[in-house]
Amino acid sequence: MIQNILVVDDSETTRAFVRRVLGMCGFENDHIFEAGDGSAALGILSAQPIDLVLADLHMPGMGGLEMTRHMLIQPRLREIPVVIISADPNAVRMEDLRKQGVKGYISKPFTPEAFRSTITEITGAIHA
Amino acid sequence: MTITVNVSDVRTSKQLDDIIVTHSLGSCVGVCLYDPVANVAGMLHYQLPSASIDASKAAERPAMYADTGMELLMKEMFAQGAQKQRLKVIVAGGASMMDDLASSSIGRRNQAAIRKIIFQQGLFIHTQDLGGTMPRTVYLNVSTGEVTIKSGGTVKAA
Repeated sequence: MIQNILVVDDSETTRAFVRRVLGMCGFENDHIFEAGDGSAALGILSAQPIDLVLADLHMPGMGGLEMTRHMLIQPRLREIPVVIISADPNAVRMEDLRKQGVKGYISKPFTPEAFRSTITEITGAIHA
Repeated sequence: MTITVNVSDVRTSKQLDDIIVTHSLGSCVGVCLYDPVANVAGMLHYQLPSASIDASKAAERPAMYADTGMELLMKEMFAQGAQKQRLKVIVAGGASMMDDLASSSIGRRNQAAIRKIIFQQGLFIHTQDLGGTMPRTVYLNVSTGEVTIKSGGTVKAA
């Protein structure tokens, strides 16, 4: 069951928006964690059980894919699903991302409904 | 019984044999709310995105604007036993009526306004039929919460 979610994005506005939509989906606010880049995210992942990571692709410092690669080489982290959120139209072919360990992709800008649909697909269920 | 929602108008019902309808949604947006547990249905047909455009007019005709109209619609729904977390939200309209350049942007602004308001209310849009260039007629069945939208000779369930 997805309980603890880590939101990784250098934009505080985006993190706040994602937090709010996750709340609307039924996830508890205290169980939503935030990081401003991949390095900070790995720090949280080493200290806190996390069930799902939502990460921006391009961030100053460590981006979402590099963070995912670091997670894949750590036995404790490799099974945690990573969903990439990106505004980059060139980013993405889902097949290429899957080969790099990513489980899902959300294109920015996104509506709350589209976000919920993708999270439901990835997690299999929404709490609310 | 058929209950007609006029332009800048809000209607609600708990009568199971009622159909709530609004016609000629061009750049305007129609918002349907339905609580399937309390069987309360409501519809708003608004013209403009924000009461800040004309606060005095909004005081007289709150349903003319997305923000004050939604506030009125939800208040009337709650008064009849609806609960926010159970509400099904369906929106339609916000077309760009090409014979009027001003209204073509109003349609988009109306769309943006209602999305923002619904999000601020912590609700998801269940179904939407927004944009395009054709006017719409929207029917809301109070008994089932089903919404039917007619536009350009086509009929679809929302």
